[in-house]
Amino acid sequence: MKATRGPLSADYKVPGGKLLRVQLTLDMSQAPPAIADLRIHGDFFMHPEEAVEELEACLVGLPCDATALRPRVQAFFDGDVQVLGADVDGIVHAIVAAGRSDS
Amino acid sequence: MSQNWRLIRHDARPAFSNMAIDEAILKHVVAGTSPCTLRFYRWQPSAVSIGYFQSMGQEVDLAACEARGVDVIRRLTGGGAVYHDYDGEITYSLTMPDDYPGLPRNVLESYDLLCKGLVLGLRSLGMPAEFSPINDIVVAGRKISGNAQTRRFRGVLQHGTLLCEVDPHLMFTLLKVPNEKIRDKLIAGVEERVTSIRREMGTVDRDQVTQAMIDGFAGALDIELAPGELSDDELAMADQLRKERYESHAWTFKR
Repeated sequence: MKATRGPLSADYKVPGGKLLRVQLTLDMSQAPPAIADLRIHGDFFMHPEEAVEELEACLVGLPCDATALRPRVQAFFDGDVQVLGADVDGIVHAIVAAGRSDS
Repeated sequence: MSQNWRLIRHDARPAFSNMAIDEAILKHVVAGTSPCTLRFYRWQPSAVSIGYFQSMGQEVDLAACEARGVDVIRRLTGGGAVYHDYDGEITYSLTMPDDYPGLPRNVLESYDLLCKGLVLGLRSLGMPAEFSPINDIVVAGRKISGNAQTRRFRGVLQHGTLLCEVDPHLMFTLLKVPNEKIRDKLIAGVEERVTSIRREMGTVDRDQVTQAMIDGFAGALDIELAPGELSDDELAMADQLRKERYESHAWTFKR
């Protein structure tokens, strides 16, 4: 079996918010497969902007399911960051959808 | 007591200079070496800018831009991809420290306050303009202005556009569409949901509109605006930021 799968992607329009466009690769040598690389793109706002890289980095290594992702994303939102146009549910939804996509 | 601000009315410049100048002003305002600033500018050549979080490859048809001599640039601010036509828009930036008197710490609330200048300006021209959260201004439900803010280096920079004329066909030639089947639908959507000074007023008098916005900001923010120019230090820093950040492949294709 190939060690990684991807890049996988999904777009998700946050209700009342912006369009999230997630790209990721999965490490298939883990059971369940783990996020090996992740980019959260989109037309949302985050202050400070560079925090998005911390969010992406802190999700690498996790299984690509809501149970695993939600607490980390929630902890990020609870920190000293302001996000407009995206929320915890939207980001988790977009990442999980990308993990389940065919491409 | 009203604050004294600097008003800079620039002519057209390349995208890389425009974004570098906005950042250089921000750094000088925060350092206390420049006053809070309202700047107006244009884009030559026309350009596509994308938000800080967007992927250039996903959003922009780079070959179409190159074929038409349209520059592409990543902004310091979040938000969406925008086609900045030389004739099609009036662009502004507002720069102030993040502890500016009366400025909400909450970013959404501060959009409402800072967009009020445009809202008042448009109303003075006879348009029933309103702020539409998160970051738009609409006239009778149709978007006429998009705005984007960053808070960095202990300062606030908000820049935005006022649409003078819209060409949705050109827009969706330069921007990528999710699939070809919905291109016509997207174009129809823009015609439905977006308006412009041309559409609302029948004509575009850039000086008249810009003056209305200046008066709008002066009223909304209770500020005195004195005409000024960039300092030598700002020019030098902008030149450096242009070369090292905005013109670099690493920044343009950062995400």
